[in-house]
Amino acid sequence: MKELLAVELFKIGKQRKTFYGLAAVLVLVAFIMISAFFQGRGFLDIMLKNIQDSFEFQGNLLNAHLIIYLVLNSLWFHIPLILMIVVSGFLTSEYKDRTVEAILLHPVPRWKFITSKYLATAIFSIVLVLVLMLVTFSAAYVFFGSGDLVIFLDGLSFFEPGEALRRLAGAFLSGIIIALFYAITGLTLAVLFREATITWIVSAFFLIVTTMLLKYDFGWPLLNDYFFPKLIDSWQYFFYYDIPYATIWIKNTVLLGYTIIFALTGIRVFIKRDIKP
Amino acid sequence: MILQIAEIKKSFGSRQVLNSVSLSCDKGRVSGLIGPNGAGKSTLFRIIFDLIRPDSGTVSVYSKRKKPLGGFIDKPALYGYLSARDNLRIFARMQRMDLTVERYSELMELVGLDASRHDPVKYYSTGMKQRLGLAVSLMNDPECIILDEPFSGLDPFGNRSFQELIRELARTKNIAVLIASHNLYDLGDLCDELYIINKGEIIRHGNASDLFRMASKSYRIYGEALIQSKTLQHLGAKISTDNALVIPGVGDIEAVIKGVVDEGCSVSACIPQTSLELLLQKEKL
Repeated sequence: MKELLAVELFKIGKQRKTFYGLAAVLVLVAFIMISAFFQGRGFLDIMLKNIQDSFEFQGNLLNAHLIIYLVLNSLWFHIPLILMIVVSGFLTSEYKDRTVEAILLHPVPRWKFITSKYLATAIFSIVLVLVLMLVTFSAAYVFFGSGDLVIFLDGLSFFEPGEALRRLAGAFLSGIIIALFYAITGLTLAVLFREATITWIVSAFFLIVTTMLLKYDFGWPLLNDYFFPKLIDSWQYFFYYDIPYATIWIKNTVLLGYTIIFALTGIRVFIKRDIKP
Repeated sequence: MILQIAEIKKSFGSRQVLNSVSLSCDKGRVSGLIGPNGAGKSTLFRIIFDLIRPDSGTVSVYSKRKKPLGGFIDKPALYGYLSARDNLRIFARMQRMDLTVERYSELMELVGLDASRHDPVKYYSTGMKQRLGLAVSLMNDPECIILDEPFSGLDPFGNRSFQELIRELARTKNIAVLIASHNLYDLGDLCDELYIINKGEIIRHGNASDLFRMASKSYRIYGEALIQSKTLQHLGAKISTDNALVIPGVGDIEAVIKGVVDEGCSVSACIPQTSLELLLQKEKL
């Protein structure tokens, strides 16, 4: 398994689409930062409109922490989309080039091959979010400088720089679970559909539907609490005045459970199904 | 015997693709599986490699090696964005095999490829990819090589040298080789025995030369002054400037050639015109 995982990571590192995906993420971050730079002041004015007459604000509110928060907000649709496209390509391209078949002509058990694919996908997703976090934090601090974080979430909240950094880092790390969920789902869809274009369409559809269902009231507490579309916003809880760690922990654990179930489903289907061109 | 396939049946939906297919392969011998496109050759090979599960029947491999079978189906599937060495390295590592520089050079030399090339294999010609595919198949020393349409896309020179390479492997390394092709001429000189498959059934099996003789009803004779030959005219041969297509009686080609030579014509070659259609007929030839 160790060798197969090493091979999968080697292949990921050698494919151009990996770097296109990474570049797309970084360009997206740069784009959001540039937009924030030019439109951030207007955003702050709207947010603080009602209290500007009563309070005096000192320091720079359009700072690194607000920028990172804006990047965070913008990324939980775009990053999963890019991730699902790139990750599903890890398998669909092997179906297209028939290298899946070529590998299985050797003494390589199917379950080991596909499990190593899932593990490599998980590692890639974690690395992608960590790189994103590193780049976002570095660029934001270099170009915007530190300061208090002011956000509007059920009400206006102010966080001092140290506190803001802690919460933003927590949100990013919590986001790793979300990225993992979408990446593993993308790979499972690739196992099911095998063909790249169909997998991309279904992935995009899945992402849109889960995002839409996030705010939908199912009228049944169990669904509202534990259905997977309801679990993809755990990162936002880091910006409540009192962070509900228990809720975050439960949401992330259940989402991780879904992720494992989806992966096991993909592994089972791959093992059971004929490998045909 | 290294490989035995017994009574394999397989259907895709309502379409039966293989019907009670049985065959076997021995070490050091080249076996051919000939049939038209869609006869079930690739499906059979996929079943042998356990990529597809049969509805019934068995595949028995008599080998104690870690990798008893090697080969490729349709055409070699390689990572186009990687070099030949990286491709071999990937396939080696997956099998927990150490590909040393010496082993890499040895494999490349065996299949007649330049070990010093570092460009991605997507830039390789079809023939070079076939050779690299064979090198991948030979890793980990399998006792049986199974090649599906290994000559497709090769020019006549490439075809000839690839055939020699396969023959060499069977003879010198005592490897059992099973090759499928839809082209009779690809396997004619190469195989020791032949299986003829059509519509999912093995309809004929035997010594390659015997089957070829049975399927050769006409001959093309090359030579000079053939147009003057009364023997050829009498047999209704289609005669042109330097060759004639003749259909003698069964086993009478020697008598025909003798007659033509006795008439003062020179004969430089006589090539049997083997007919796949004849081999594909279920009834006795």
